[in-house]
This record gives sequence, C-alpha cells and structure tokens, in this order.
Amino acid sequence: MIDNMAKQNHIIANRRPPSRWATRLRLAFHYGDRPWNALTISMAVLTILVMLAIGVLLWRESAGSRSAFGLNFLKPTTDASWNPVSGEFQAWPFIYGTLVTSLFSLVLAVPLSLGVAIFLAELCPEWLRLPLGGMFELLAAIPSVIYGLWGIFVFLPKVVDPVGRFLDTTLGNVPVLSLFFHGPIPASGASLLAAAFILSIMITPTITAITRDVFLAIPVSQREASLALGSTRWETIWKVLIPYGLSGILGAVILGLGRALGETMAVTMVVGNSIGGSLSLLRPGYTMSSIIANEFAEAVSPLHTQALIEVGLILFIITLLLNILARLLVWRVGRGNVQGARA
Amino acid sequence: MQRKISLLFVLVMVMSLVLSACSTPTTQAPAVATVVTTVEVTRVVAGTPETIVITATPAPTEPPTPTSMPAGSVQVNGAGATFPLPVYTEWIYAYQYIDPSVTLNYQGIGSGGGKKGIIDNTIDFAGSDSVLKDEEYTSGGDLQMYPMLAGAVVPIYNVDGITKTVTLDGATLAGIYDATITKWNDPAIVALNPGLNFPDASITAVHRSDGSGTTEIFTNALASFSQQWKDSVGAGSSVEWPVDKAGNGIGGKGNQGVAAAVQNTPNSIGYVELSYAIANKIAYTDMINKSGNKVTANADSLASAMNDFATTFTDKLTNKIVDGPGAASWPIAGYTYIILRTTSMPDCVKAQKIVEYLKWALTDAGAAKRAADLGYSVLPDAVRTQVLAKLGEVTCNGAPVVTP
Repeated sequence: MIDNMAKQNHIIANRRPPSRWATRLRLAFHYGDRPWNALTISMAVLTILVMLAIGVLLWRESAGSRSAFGLNFLKPTTDASWNPVSGEFQAWPFIYGTLVTSLFSLVLAVPLSLGVAIFLAELCPEWLRLPLGGMFELLAAIPSVIYGLWGIFVFLPKVVDPVGRFLDTTLGNVPVLSLFFHGPIPASGASLLAAAFILSIMITPTITAITRDVFLAIPVSQREASLALGSTRWETIWKVLIPYGLSGILGAVILGLGRALGETMAVTMVVGNSIGGSLSLLRPGYTMSSIIANEFAEAVSPLHTQALIEVGLILFIITLLLNILARLLVWRVGRGNVQGARA
Repeated sequence: MQRKISLLFVLVMVMSLVLSACSTPTTQAPAVATVVTTVEVTRVVAGTPETIVITATPAPTEPPTPTSMPAGSVQVNGAGATFPLPVYTEWIYAYQYIDPSVTLNYQGIGSGGGKKGIIDNTIDFAGSDSVLKDEEYTSGGDLQMYPMLAGAVVPIYNVDGITKTVTLDGATLAGIYDATITKWNDPAIVALNPGLNFPDASITAVHRSDGSGTTEIFTNALASFSQQWKDSVGAGSSVEWPVDKAGNGIGGKGNQGVAAAVQNTPNSIGYVELSYAIANKIAYTDMINKSGNKVTANADSLASAMNDFATTFTDKLTNKIVDGPGAASWPIAGYTYIILRTTSMPDCVKAQKIVEYLKWALTDAGAAKRAADLGYSVLPDAVRTQVLAKLGEVTCNGAPVVTP
C-alpha cells in the first residue's frame, strides 16, 4: 500500500507528455491488480470449461450405449454380462470393483497415514523428521507401473496371498463378512484385495503429507494450552489437534480417494481382470479404469466403444459426486469447528 | 471512462495471450519445421498441390525416381495393430537403407484405432488384426485389406511336476477355457500325454485382459475346435470368458501380463504370441491338429496353415487360417493386415512410396528372415501372388501407382 503510493508520487513527479495509448498501457500494467485478476479469472474459467467439455463429450459419445441399455447398464447383479461379441454390456462389476477397492484402500490407508503424520509432526525427533518425511514423499513419486510390476512379482505372492488365505480361514466363516472374505484367493494373489493393498500404499504418502502439514499449521498455543490444563500428549493430539485440523485431514482423505478411484495401471496389473460376479475381495475382479484401459484400443464395434465411454462417464460422475459430498462434509466440519471455537 | 477502456484493453490482451498459449503446440509446430529444414523438403512433406509445382517435383501422375528425392522427404504415417509391431519396426528400420527418401512411421495404437484412422483419413495406412465390417468398407470409401504376415498363438503352462512338453488338442483347449475341463488330471489331458504325471489340481486359465489380435486368433481357433464355444462365446478381440464366470479365470494385461500370471500361478495355462514365447524362452505346448498330427508352432507349421487356405480368399483378401487340414499345419494362427485407400490417396508420391514399401516387405528375402526370426511368417507364394496383384490395382488420380 505504502509502496504503491510512493510509486504514484514518483509517476506524478516525473510526468511527461507521453502518447495517449502509452499512458493507458502503462496505467493498466503499472498497478498489476487488474491484469492479474483477469489472468487468474480466465485460468479458473478455462478449468471449468475443460471440465464441462469432458462431461459433454462423454455424454454425447455414449449416446448409443445409453439408449441401447438404459438403466440396465448400471443394474447391480452378480450375473452381469460384458460380452463384446454379442454386444451386451453391463457395468456393475466395474463399478463395484472400483468402489470396493477404493474404499477398502481408504480403510487401510487412513489410520496408517494419520499415524505417520502424527509421528512426523508431533513425536518425531527433529533430526529424523526431514529424512523420514522425504522418504515418505518419495513413495508418491514412484510411477504406478512400477507398483504394478512390484505387485505382480513380489507383493502379491509374498504378502497378499498369505494374508488372503488367513482372511479366508478367519473372516471367511463369519456370517456377513464371509460375503466379502470368502476364498479361495488365486494362487497368484491377483484379486480385489491385492488392488486395495497396492492402492493403499499409493495413497498413503498423499494423505500423510497433507495431514502432516495440517498438524504443523496448528498454532503452538493450542498445544501449550492443552498441556497447561494437564492433558497428556495423547489427549492433546486426540482431543485438541485432530478436531482442530479435521477439515484439513478430511481434505487429504478426499485427495487420496480421488487418486484411488482413478488409478489405472497398477490396479490393472494386479486386480485379475476377471468378471466373476463374486462380491468377495479375495476373488479376481475388475475396475472401471481398468476395463477402459484394457479394451478401448481394440474395441472395434461402435457399441463396444460407446459402452466403454459410458463406463468413463459413470466414473466421471462418481468422482464428481464423491468430491462434492466430501466438500460438503469439509464445510460442515469446518463450520462446526468455528462455532465450537466461539462457544 | 479511461479506466474502463484500459481494463477492456488488458482483458483482450490477456485473453489473446491465453489463447495463443493454448494453440501454440498445434499451430506453431510446422513453422518451426520450416526454419530447420530446407524449403523444398517441407513443401513435399506438406504435399499440397501448389507447393509440389513450386518445387522441382514432377507432376503427381508421373512418379519420380527415388534417387531424385532428398532423404526423408516423404513422411508416411501408419498406425494400428500391436500384434505385428515388432516386425513392422524391424522392417521400417531396414527399409531406410533401401529407400532413404521415405520416412515410415508405424504406431501400435491397436486395431480399432488403426481402422478409425484410415476411415477418418488421418493416417496413410493402417494395421489391423481384425477384418473390416461391410459398413466400414463403405464408410471408408475405397478401403482394401492386404494380408502381410501370419502369426501363431501358443498355449503356455505352469504345472507342478511337469517338465516335459505338454501336448493338447483343440477340444481339450476349448474345454479348459469354457470350464468343462477343470483339473489337470482330467482324462482328456492325461490321454494326450502318456508318461506325464499330472497333479490333481484345478486349472487356472489366464487370458488377455486387453483387447487384442492375439485373443481374436485364439478365440477364432477355439470356435473352430468346438461348436459349443462357437455358439456360446464366439470370437473377438475381447470376449466374455466362461472360465471367468466359473471363478477360475484371470486376465493379464498384454503378453507379459499373461506370461507373468502363468509363471506366478501354479497349475495355470495361458496363451501368448509365438514371438513373445520365443523371445522370452517360455515353454509352450504342442498341439494335435485337425489331421491328427502332433505339431509344434514355428514358421513351417505357420506356412502350412496359410497354404491350407490359399485358395479360399475372397475379393476382400481376408481369411481365417485356424484349424487347417494340412498334415503339418499349426491350428492357432491368423493373418495381420494392412489397410489402404485404393483410389483416393491424396498424395500420389506418398501412395507410390507406400506401395513400393509393401511390395518390398512381401517379396524381400531379408524381410522374410527378419519376420521368421521374430516368430512370424511371411506369406507363401500362393497367397503372395494374390496380394501383389491386388496391390497393383491401387490407383491415384485414376492412374496406377506402380507399374506391375
């Protein structure tokens, strides 16, 4: 502000009679606010336009499939058919696969990430914080195809297969849970469970990094106040810091969920790519992004292509809905927090 | 007032900046090319009629001699099937030394993408494993398919305690994939392999998860082996696998995905291209063919399969070569095709270069050897003469592209 005024004075002091256009140009650019506003607004509008364009394209290009199958395309059934030869397509196995792998990966990743973030931000000795945090962030930089390869050759046979067998013998006999945990898991380990495991490893660094930053951004006074009141460290973290940063943590979880929903390569390599109709996590399955990646290049009949685009449309809508829901949740939590602080 | 105008001005400036930034990659690229290469070269590449007149290139109907053209002056873009990609890559590399004036480029984007490209006229030639449908012929105008190569698909296996080569026949293979044969010690398998001790283990059948010409050949063969498969499943680049429904199927992405799944899954079976099995030294089964002989997949048994069907080509030059009756024929094989526009290629120089290249690929001994080394087979004489005759019918502006 003061700087601006000084500049203005400087201009007035040095005023010469420049041409009209030059003056206008200089005035327009001298105070960068308006060009800057215009630039940022146009960028924001561009993003929205791209988003809309994708939605419109997916909607239009899937017209044939939508009119041919209608709501039957989405019908939840264990006997879904995806038959490119006879031209019958139902997307339920892929929708189920995507949702169940993403949600299960969140179940695994959220406690893990929260623990790591709390350790990094609150409990970790100073000298360990940087190397450990850096290594965790490095996990996010590994290309997904590497996760897939590692999954196929190491993680699936060494970890998923034994874990799957264990789950099959334990949870596989519990009445309701057996629906999701009955085996046998294929000997190669390729299954929905494997995809969920790989996804949880892939989204953990994302959630951890943001959650850690949320914790670090919480004012020290909050901790001091809590400790001064006689709380233990556990109580400070659990009852003060987590509620304070909840909206940020939820935001981190949403970002992780977004990545899990859309992840293609690593999942395709480990999920088994089989439309079996079983609800079990221990059986091979399929996800929406996998079927598109697998079949789009060689989809020769128009109906097949359109059905795949409709799967893309569904994925687009699900991602959008989940994001909106999550955003609403964050708002609610954020507002509650402010009111709580006032009270 | 003046502020308003200046604001408007700035807005226009910013928008034009943004727009130009967006369009840079597409519109500016040719201009850059003009700078770095000679004027003559870029004009021929662009291929517009008036620039051809400006440069010393002869009129479109008179084909120029290859030596008169600078290296890399004709850019030919092809795209499509990934099945023949290893061979096409080798051929294109070798062809640089035969005719340096043409730069060939083939991208393995899938048969579907190749067909779409040639129908929409965005590429100069397409590669495809699957044949065009009738409506695609007409929507593309004047499309023609030319068989270029044949490839074999081989079953690969991983069975506990089995170290010798396993032999299967068509009915058994179809039985495994439609889940009617579920155990390795099934009498049908045991009877085909005297002396081998199969375990009492259920069979995991691995298939390609991605749409693929390999799957198309494999399912074509299964449909020929088994009427039940033909009726219930059919053939295509991706199908609905009965073994998936039965809970014993796994999809692997690409040849490497199938091979990895088979290697990591005890008592499993899968199928890959012969070329992939050769390159990675993976054991594959022998097959009992239609005439009842035990055959191994190689260039000879592939050629035999092609010869079995050499006389049954239609005018469209498409054909299946699965389950051939010949004594030495490998039963799981298929052609891969090149698709060209036969009368409406816009650039006659380019048209000539494409046809010359294809003729070289079909007839050159070195090209044949490169294909055979990779596990593919070039066409036998009986088929080749038909393809060459059809290639001679390609015209540009009404005149034959190459003198026969």
